[in-house]
Amino acid sequence: MGALPLLDPVAASALSAVLSVIFLTGAWQKLRDPALFQANVENYRLLPDVLAWPAAILLPVWELAAAILVLFDPTRTAGTILAIGLLSVVTAAVIINLLRGRTEIDCGCGSLGGHVGDQTLNWGLPARNAVLVLAAMLILREDATRALVWIDYLSVAGATLGLLGLYVTANQLMANHPRLHAMRNH
Amino acid sequence: MTEALIVSNIILWIVVLALLLAVLALARQVGILYERVAPMGALMLDHGPKVGDMAPLFNLESLGGGSLSVGLAGNKKSQLLFFLSPTCPVCKKLLPVLKSIRNVEAKWLDVVLASDGDRPEHAEFYRKAALTEFPYVLSTDLGMAFQVGKLPYAILIGDDGRVRAKGLVNSREQLESLFAAKELGVASVQEYIDQQA
Repeated sequence: MGALPLLDPVAASALSAVLSVIFLTGAWQKLRDPALFQANVENYRLLPDVLAWPAAILLPVWELAAAILVLFDPTRTAGTILAIGLLSVVTAAVIINLLRGRTEIDCGCGSLGGHVGDQTLNWGLPARNAVLVLAAMLILREDATRALVWIDYLSVAGATLGLLGLYVTANQLMANHPRLHAMRNH
Repeated sequence: MTEALIVSNIILWIVVLALLLAVLALARQVGILYERVAPMGALMLDHGPKVGDMAPLFNLESLGGGSLSVGLAGNKKSQLLFFLSPTCPVCKKLLPVLKSIRNVEAKWLDVVLASDGDRPEHAEFYRKAALTEFPYVLSTDLGMAFQVGKLPYAILIGDDGRVRAKGLVNSREQLESLFAAKELGVASVQEYIDQQA
């Protein structure tokens, strides 16, 4: 952690807002249809069946808590740590199933700009989550000494929208990839 | 000088965000293109026996034991063929709906689950998901005959052996719309709406 440089508050605020939006949409899509998410959890085959239902509730609530806490200054550190913890758990679950070769199952991620059920497991997901973890670790290195002026808020807004746009685009390209692959193999 | 920098900064943000939207739109369109061009996928759903055609006849063995005819004319009841897979979350979500449909519509309808692949995996799924009240058939040919591309897919076959309604079903409403489509004598509720328009 010490190796990371201190981060300007504009970048830290933008990264926090981006993480918050990503987690909020993920939590919302999972909580909206818990039965579907439970089936997704069962598909990962990591937990005994009796724990699938509690996990299907706990994961989105954890996600929601991280999304809300990371948004506000006093709780930002706690929210960021929750986010890193959640990302580590779900990424481990994805990697285990990738190593098992179960690439046909659905991610169940509930990604921004998509729906639960339109992304199968692939190595792009751990890569994407690694980027999110790195972003969260940068937030922890926020340099809180500089006071923000009005134009900083313009930068925060622009950077937040810009990063979200890049995230949605990256997800879309990842969702496209298996379709391209299927097309090439025929 | 500062004012000039602020103006240029604002303009740059607008341009960057607009470009990003354009890239996102392009990525989505590329995704749609891949899906359309690929041999499997959306377009295939329109193939297979049409509504009103005779369903192909299959004699299949059920996982629970016994055999079963699909598409037989002169059946006492209609058949709802529900194509699923143990790894399809939406299918699992619809299982309680299928159980209630089976109970409520038992007078005129048999619900048949269909899939293909490894027998042990399906046998485990059959037992764990408490599906033993349903006939469950494993046949790649059946899915091929009906050109099932995406899951969960349902086909309603009338007691005369004709296909009455079919389609990709993601919810209880879509599943029940197949019955509505049968009563209205159209392929799908979508087609009915198109006819009315």
